[in-house]
Amino acid sequence: MIEGQIALIRRELWEHRAIYVMPLVIALLVSLASVTGQVAVSAFDHAVDIGILGATNLGENARSAAITVLMISLSSTFVFAMWILTIFYSLDALYAERKDRSILFWRSIPSTDFETVLSKLLTALLVIPLITFVFIVLTHLVVLMATSVWLGARGANTWHLLWTAAPFIDNWTATLVFLLALSLWLSPFVGWSLFVSGFAKRSPFLIAALPIAILPLLERIVFDTTVFAEAFFVRSVKMPLFRGLDNLELLFQEGEHFKMVGDASVSLLSLLDLGRFFSSPALWLGLVVCALFTTAAIYVRRYRDDS
Amino acid sequence: MTSVVSARNVSKSYGSIRAIDDVSFDIEKGKITGLIGPNGAGKTTLLKAVLGLTDCRGSLSVLGLDPFRQRKELMQNICFIADVAVLPRWIRVTQLLDFIEAVHPRFSRSRAEELLSQTKVRPDAKVRELSKGMVTQFHLSIITAIDAKLLVLDEPTLGLDIISRKEFYGNLLNDYFDGERTILITTHQVEEIENLLTDIMFINDGKIVLDASMEDLPERYVELMASTENAEEARRLKPIYEREVFGKKVLMFEGVSRDRLQGMGEVRTPGVADLFVAKIKGAAA
Repeated sequence: MIEGQIALIRRELWEHRAIYVMPLVIALLVSLASVTGQVAVSAFDHAVDIGILGATNLGENARSAAITVLMISLSSTFVFAMWILTIFYSLDALYAERKDRSILFWRSIPSTDFETVLSKLLTALLVIPLITFVFIVLTHLVVLMATSVWLGARGANTWHLLWTAAPFIDNWTATLVFLLALSLWLSPFVGWSLFVSGFAKRSPFLIAALPIAILPLLERIVFDTTVFAEAFFVRSVKMPLFRGLDNLELLFQEGEHFKMVGDASVSLLSLLDLGRFFSSPALWLGLVVCALFTTAAIYVRRYRDDS
Repeated sequence: MTSVVSARNVSKSYGSIRAIDDVSFDIEKGKITGLIGPNGAGKTTLLKAVLGLTDCRGSLSVLGLDPFRQRKELMQNICFIADVAVLPRWIRVTQLLDFIEAVHPRFSRSRAEELLSQTKVRPDAKVRELSKGMVTQFHLSIITAIDAKLLVLDEPTLGLDIISRKEFYGNLLNDYFDGERTILITTHQVEEIENLLTDIMFINDGKIVLDASMEDLPERYVELMASTENAEEARRLKPIYEREVFGKKVLMFEGVSRDRLQGMGEVRTPGVADLFVAKIKGAAA
């Protein structure tokens, strides 16, 4: 079973190369942008030197906070792209094999429909976040190294300024937890996409998007309530993972002035509240919805007869 | 006798259309059975039922298993080629070998590689870079390397040129078939497989209209080529089908002994293709 799953998941990576090509491209672009930025900023020679001097004199916490902000802003690009990738992957996962008729071949292999659909669900919820995580870590390292070379060339003590100040373990653990929690939190959308991908005769994207656009509208008109609107839209931005905060408030606190999390705490991990996350009924409801749609996708693949 | 496939009163409907209508038959171990029928006769539906891809009514047993409900076990002992287009186009030859090696307990990679080395299929090629004939060779190599008890082929040579078709059947007989394995095959090109079949089944409108071993055909069916005058006399023996070739009448008989026809004209065993036409058209008349 486990060996079979590994083979099936490896198969997904062969077919959907975007799973690692997309984060790779983002990693390259982000790294390139940071180097370009350094070159551009170098034009303001004097100001840069004063800045470096100022930064060197900051306290340990303030330096850590500044680097944390840098690391978060790098990571957030990946998180956004990861979600687009996950949804498009899920919409394609059971559709492509029917479109090119290779489903007949895949069904001639001794793997059950349950095992096959499970491998696609695991790819969406586990493999994509893990691969994204690896690229986030690599990007952090590359950008910090580039910065280090640049600052070093200007005579700064980069060991003091960057490397001892960067809270790597804390930041990376928190990022990994965040990515996996986000997967679970948004899993109903993955389940829905897999299901649509399994039955749509064409345009799975449109078919998946329509009810998400129309249901809240209908509900508003007919019942004047916003249950669906909240389930669909508020869910994507409000994850109960953080101590007393929802994830958008993490970067932008209320009021006109946005305040970076770094001011509040250097430790991202200390912001995470797994107890709150796992005791949230909304999480479990979402997982149930995901399981139902995935089961439906398995049944569609099993009982569908295209002849 | 050991039945590999055993069907009793099997039916399958799509809405009001009966694709398979109360069909019963057995396929014995070590046989190469041709399932022949016109388009829409129910061939593919019957194969799908045998492969567990679709549910059906009645009792159907393949290798002692219920194909629809025990599909995973079944797939360990059964292979099928649906038609040449179904290998995923994005996959590399080596990747597909890796994959099957990991999921198929009866696959021998070294055997597959040995068979592939005799073809023009390069291990690092993607399926989309291969010609149709090469894809079929590749698929057949994989299947030959799987120690399966039953091979189901649904129009395996559709769209292939004549050289590839000959090669395919040649390899099938030489590399795959060993007298222990069983093959069930459908095709439109009856003439090409006539010589390799041990049994034939004709299917029309969801019903089996002929189920016979090739050895029995000469005894059961006989064709008479007669002049117009002699044909008059021969018609009294109730031919199942009659056609005209170069001004002569060709009459086909079922269950009529050759001796009775001697003297009326040229007597011979009908080809499978002619028999097929006679059975299908004769039934319609």
